[in-house]
Amino acid sequence: MTDAAPPTSPARLLALAAWRFHVGDRLAWRIAAAIALSFVSAALLVALSGHNPAAAFAAMAAGAAGSPHQLGVALNRATPYLLAGGGVAVCFRTGVINIGAEGQIALGGVGAAAVALHWPDTPSPAAAIVALLGAATLGAAWAGVATAIHLGRRVHEVLATLLLNFVALLLVQQTLAGPLGQSGAGFLQSPEIPAAAWLGKAPNLGAHAGVFIAVVAAALSLILWLTPFGFALRVAGRSRRAAAYAGFSMNGLTWGVMLLAGALAGLAGGVEVLGMHHRLIEGFSTGFGFKAVTVALLGALEPLAVIPAALFVGLLEAGSLSMQRQIGVPSALVAVIEGLTMLFVLAATVRRT
Amino acid sequence: MTALLQMRGIVRCFGAVRANDGVDLDVSGGEIVALLGENGSGKSTLMKVLFGMIPADSGDIVFRGRRLGGHRPVDAMAAGVAMIHQHFMLIEAMTVVENVMLGWAEAGRLLKRSEMAARIREASRRFGLDLEPDAVVADLSLGQRQRIEILKAVLREAELLILDEPTSNLAPSEVADLLTILRRLRERGKGVVFITHKLPEVLDVCDRVVVLRAGRVSGRAPVGAVTKAQLAEMMVGRDVTAPHAARQAPSKVDRLIVTDLEGPWLGPLSFAVKGGEVLGVAGVDGNGQLELVETLAGLRRPRGGALSVDGLDLIEASVAARTEAGLAYMPADRSSTALVKGLSIAENLMLRDSRRAPYSRGLLLSRAARDAKARTLMREYDIRAPHPATPAGRLSGGNQQKIVVARELDRKPAVLIAHQAAWGLDPGATRFVVERVLALRAAGAAIVYFSSELDEVLDVADRIAVMANGRFAGVVARREADLGQIGLWMSGRAA
Repeated sequence: MTDAAPPTSPARLLALAAWRFHVGDRLAWRIAAAIALSFVSAALLVALSGHNPAAAFAAMAAGAAGSPHQLGVALNRATPYLLAGGGVAVCFRTGVINIGAEGQIALGGVGAAAVALHWPDTPSPAAAIVALLGAATLGAAWAGVATAIHLGRRVHEVLATLLLNFVALLLVQQTLAGPLGQSGAGFLQSPEIPAAAWLGKAPNLGAHAGVFIAVVAAALSLILWLTPFGFALRVAGRSRRAAAYAGFSMNGLTWGVMLLAGALAGLAGGVEVLGMHHRLIEGFSTGFGFKAVTVALLGALEPLAVIPAALFVGLLEAGSLSMQRQIGVPSALVAVIEGLTMLFVLAATVRRT
Repeated sequence: MTALLQMRGIVRCFGAVRANDGVDLDVSGGEIVALLGENGSGKSTLMKVLFGMIPADSGDIVFRGRRLGGHRPVDAMAAGVAMIHQHFMLIEAMTVVENVMLGWAEAGRLLKRSEMAARIREASRRFGLDLEPDAVVADLSLGQRQRIEILKAVLREAELLILDEPTSNLAPSEVADLLTILRRLRERGKGVVFITHKLPEVLDVCDRVVVLRAGRVSGRAPVGAVTKAQLAEMMVGRDVTAPHAARQAPSKVDRLIVTDLEGPWLGPLSFAVKGGEVLGVAGVDGNGQLELVETLAGLRRPRGGALSVDGLDLIEASVAARTEAGLAYMPADRSSTALVKGLSIAENLMLRDSRRAPYSRGLLLSRAARDAKARTLMREYDIRAPHPATPAGRLSGGNQQKIVVARELDRKPAVLIAHQAAWGLDPGATRFVVERVLALRAAGAAIVYFSSELDEVLDVADRIAVMANGRFAGVVARREADLGQIGLWMSGRAA
């Protein structure tokens, strides 16, 4: 890297990110080793359950990326994890333990559906954009409620964000039982959203445009790292006393990251509704928020590393279904692999000071 | 007297630095040996080797006739060595008896609280420790806490006690009590190693003195046979001139004015500092210094009072606004306040200025400008590191403090608040810090220099204030300073 290059050219940013990721105490190697270890453990479990691990993993790989269609399924699964996981990573880096993505995603879905259904005649690209804005706004608002409780009443942020998840899920039920519900469906869901607000799909692949939104958002969070605000976040994450000494307001930083993470999680919910289901369905995002935490930790809280981490989890889940179909290994084993991977990665990336 | 400890040819290197370079040390039962030397002379390394906290590269240790080698602190304690650290390892929320029982097998699986309390009372009487078993540690003074550590050592039948700078945090009256206790330990046949760099204490209580300089023994003598001047020369080995000769008179204008400042454990306090003047604040640690500096810096809210810099009222101002107004602050806590150890030197240099030029351009930080600035400051302030991207935590204490000095002084502040600015630094780095502070004084800034080392305050200050119980017990011009009076002020007996 030469000093003559403009400091913010995209190529330079990427080089910088790659350099940091690689040099950061060989973090990438340690994460790769952790993932390999978790697969070895999973192979043992498969063998114990009386199946051939090689065949199981082959079926899993084929199911994850064996055809363009399968790859599309995996990409669609990875999208909400990537969006919400990016926000969680930024929060955790600041030392704000936000585990409210679950509720923020659910309300993001409500926001997207409500906007799309309330203005059904909006023309094509605008309809999706406005609906996604609605999703981000509602997600951020829900994160804002948690932040207000945390900062205003000094409730620990883990409690405030975690408990509001349950409230959010009940709110989704309530809106589906009331204003947004489709009468006579026999199931808690909204009417179908007008096609103008759907996210376009790539032919063959079946992946919807949400993937691009997610990747762009993750890249933007890297830009954030190069602003004074991002610097303040990194200082606060390492030492709150130093942040106070540097003149950064912890309240301001907390509001900033919480609203950002809420908006990203809301966007994840909106993308899921507009890209996958084309309606709001009860429980459409169950477990997504906690997957987002997994993805953030797998990516070692590095904004760009969250992209491969989300892809990894997406591929794993898409592959698990076909592993179950073809070999008879229960797909619950995938949850075991995810859990093991997270434990190994955490053990490999713990910061020693 | 029986030989208790023999250390022979101890060598311990850290990288290229030979912290101990062939050191011999003998201690007999019933004697107090002073281990004297400047910061960084190898005293602590030698004792850590003895206590098994770090292994020696070579050399032999024989304690009570048995070889100690490759041992850990647990083994050293079992053999009868006790180490009393500068910072006590006590749990503040617990009582004396609970702290004594902690991690001690003899306290029993079901804790024998009353039996332990009785033993504490007995030992406390025998050695004159004056400790109440049921007192909560948080309520005790630093001197009393130190006595708990001594109590733990004697209850565990330690034969050799190592005291690491035991008087550095004590008020003068507590120092006298400690020395009495050490004499009692000596009467009971215990061996004591007394690590210090304060000469009067050595002459007062010790039997023999061993002086270390740059990792080697530079002199050893019975206390009766040496003078203070001889010891000082063995310790320093060179002429330490006062770092400043020419002093110009301060200007007539008050740049920092503090009026009736008041907060929890603080004040009310009023003082003013002129441009080109250093107000040195002496006093035993924990007498409100931290409260005062943090209130001045904007990290604590005062209950009342006024604060102005160059006529600008700052009492309600944020930390950032105070920095902008020309108030610089060097905190005592280098490890997690003044610096972020995991971030690079360059990032630490911009810590408090990231929103200003040259670091920020529009919405983005400029990496090129940051690195260029870092290189300039590293050169100007002699920060020795391979690269601006080196994490600050990898540097020595002296180089870390130079980062703080560079960042705070490069802003050309109107007022500098320095808290324990030379704490734990070697003589070279101390001198560097003091010289930079004095250069800032010559440039016309008002400086408030807090230190619990009286010598340092006497070196730097134009006026000396002594803090006790959250207030200034007295303020005196440097020329008229009387050590006896200052000592009285420090012990909290206001004139």
